[in-house]
Amino acid sequence: MTEPIRLAILGCGAITRSEHIPAVSAHPGVQLVALVDTDLPRANALIRNRGLKCRAVADYREVLGQVDAVINALPNHLHVSSNMDCLRAGRHVLCEKPLAITAAEARSCTEFAEEQKLVLAVGMNHRFSASHPLLKLIIEEGLLGSIQNYDFQYGGAFDWRSASGFYFDRAKAGGGALLDFGVHMLDSVIDWFGPVSAFDYQDDDWGSGIEANAFLDVKHAGRFGEIPGHLQISRTFGLKNRLLVRGSAASAEITVSNPEVAVIHRAIGGAPVSQTLQLEKFSGGSSYWRQLDNFVQSIANHGKLEVDGWQAVRVLELVESCYAHKRRIAEPWAEIGAGSETSSGTGRSETRT
Amino acid sequence: MNWRNETVFVTGATGFIGGRVCERMIQAGVKVRALVHGMHRAARIARLPVELCPGDLLERESLREALGGAKVVIHCGVGPASSIVRGTENMLAVAQAGGVKRFIHVSTAAIYGITPPLGSESEEAPLRRTGDAYCDNKAAAEKVVLNYGKRGLPVVILRPSIVWGPYSAWSTRLMDDLRDGRVAFIEGGRGACNTTYVDNLIDAMILGLGNDRALNQAFFITDGERVSWGDFIRAHIALMEPRPEVGEISRAEIAASRGKSSGLLLGSMKAAARVARSKEFRHMLMQIPLTEAAMKKAWNWVSALPPEKRERLRARFGVRRAAAKPANARFIPDAVTEATQSTTVFFSIEKARKVLGYEPRVRFSEGMKLVEQWLRYAAYL
Repeated sequence: MTEPIRLAILGCGAITRSEHIPAVSAHPGVQLVALVDTDLPRANALIRNRGLKCRAVADYREVLGQVDAVINALPNHLHVSSNMDCLRAGRHVLCEKPLAITAAEARSCTEFAEEQKLVLAVGMNHRFSASHPLLKLIIEEGLLGSIQNYDFQYGGAFDWRSASGFYFDRAKAGGGALLDFGVHMLDSVIDWFGPVSAFDYQDDDWGSGIEANAFLDVKHAGRFGEIPGHLQISRTFGLKNRLLVRGSAASAEITVSNPEVAVIHRAIGGAPVSQTLQLEKFSGGSSYWRQLDNFVQSIANHGKLEVDGWQAVRVLELVESCYAHKRRIAEPWAEIGAGSETSSGTGRSETRT
Repeated sequence: MNWRNETVFVTGATGFIGGRVCERMIQAGVKVRALVHGMHRAARIARLPVELCPGDLLERESLREALGGAKVVIHCGVGPASSIVRGTENMLAVAQAGGVKRFIHVSTAAIYGITPPLGSESEEAPLRRTGDAYCDNKAAAEKVVLNYGKRGLPVVILRPSIVWGPYSAWSTRLMDDLRDGRVAFIEGGRGACNTTYVDNLIDAMILGLGNDRALNQAFFITDGERVSWGDFIRAHIALMEPRPEVGEISRAEIAASRGKSSGLLLGSMKAAARVARSKEFRHMLMQIPLTEAAMKKAWNWVSALPPEKRERLRARFGVRRAAAKPANARFIPDAVTEATQSTTVFFSIEKARKVLGYEPRVRFSEGMKLVEQWLRYAAYL
């Protein structure tokens, strides 16, 4: 057996605690060398609480000489500069999504990694749920007939306990619901249905650049022809939290709550039936474990990298286009406040300027 | 004072009322600083060009920093019932020290109890202890506000009742309950609902900002219509397809059935246990093990929340108000619901009309149309 890959995790926030540390701890091919966080007590507490055998450091540059690779889970706005530092030091990088706040930065990072022949993987863990390759097979093998359209919804009261709270700071987050969760959805649908050729985008940003709700209608122009799709994302209320792909012969549904299976809906003799499909041979572990495994295998040249920087670039380009051409979602219940000073009946008009 | 030239500081900004206050202030072209206790709850207001200011009503220093140079405070924040008074006093002290020119205190008509007795129709009605931690602490907070008013802080107190509108749990929870067969018309649904459409309340706040005659006074704020709980529930049923069937129940029948099961207590203790086990609560207490002390704290915490928050918690932790209803069994409302829907008092808004110049702009039927649009948008319909 080859030597394990020596790894540092950059950033000890929510995703590191909940996903990366369990994945790293469960993977025999990696050895965790350091947890990095500018809040050193936070990193130390995490090491203590999880019984990890690694160092805590405040500055990732201190450990780049002792590792082969890093998982970058810093806040969004720090991704590019830290990725570049790691790549310059000759380290492979698995970077949390989004790879960068802008497509241009993501591109330069990706190009540099290519030049250096280093692995730059992007944390699109949804790709590593069993339902992702399963749906791909279902579509490609024609189980649904010709694809007609799809509806993809994800929403819930936002409850992400980010350690730094960067999510609601435009300069640090780069955007709202679309950039945060939408990149997962866009990455997936592009992988299934092909590149996006047209879109119509609306969100509920009132001027902060941090939308809570987004509607996106797209057309894909891939090898299955033109496929229209509707995506909806919400940080304020629950949605159906599923993808429904409608075909001429059947529909396929995958849900966020059970991402390991796909349900096929069709009719037999006019009676609607459903059938749950599952891949029989699919490695265990969380999607984050599989993502890490793919990263490790790619470093060892044992496998194709599932999500590389270029795939992140195409998604970020689409997100940027959406933001550049956005329309505001109509909120008629909110309009009552616009101009309320004049219409508030006996409201005192002398307070107007 | 022309408040439109001032920065407005909003507490409770991540809540239903405070969130709408932020939106209205932005629509009025005013600069807003929003006090945010839990950043993860800020999704709704984070889309607005408001300054999100981390802070805690129970930490005075954090309030000083969050207030910044704002000269107007709209205090919608509540927090746990046991600390309503302390949180309000902290905010008042910081406001006074910061030279705040107007302090709008969002009180509640529930200072007269979950079931306000006859005689509490006007603001002059004397306050009595109700035994409910939320009601009594909100009443005590009003006194503290008035004391600061006497010492020169320009304060105005508003007492809304059932504040409803888009984003309100009064509607979302009711929709869920109707779907699950957990609604009954108590005494034919004749109880007074005292609806206060959120934008009407905010109109009153805005009037309070510019009206010196309102200083040091408290005002009931409602929609000014005699909407009963039956009306409120039926208006929601009318939105649903298929329309759920809702039966009637008398208070005597509720009392009789409560003798058989522990009703509210059971449901709420279950809620307390789930709260105690929840990550959110453990995080709050910074402690892990589920001890009796933690349970007790959780229970105090739950029972001290305003009714709407309790509703939300129940929804969040999936606690049924009574034991799971077997098919065809009659639904028995819990004690809080019964108490809330049993008042016959319609609060008078005459004083608000005369002194504040308040006139409810959104009629109940109109408000319902807006709520319906929002419920569709928010995937409740």
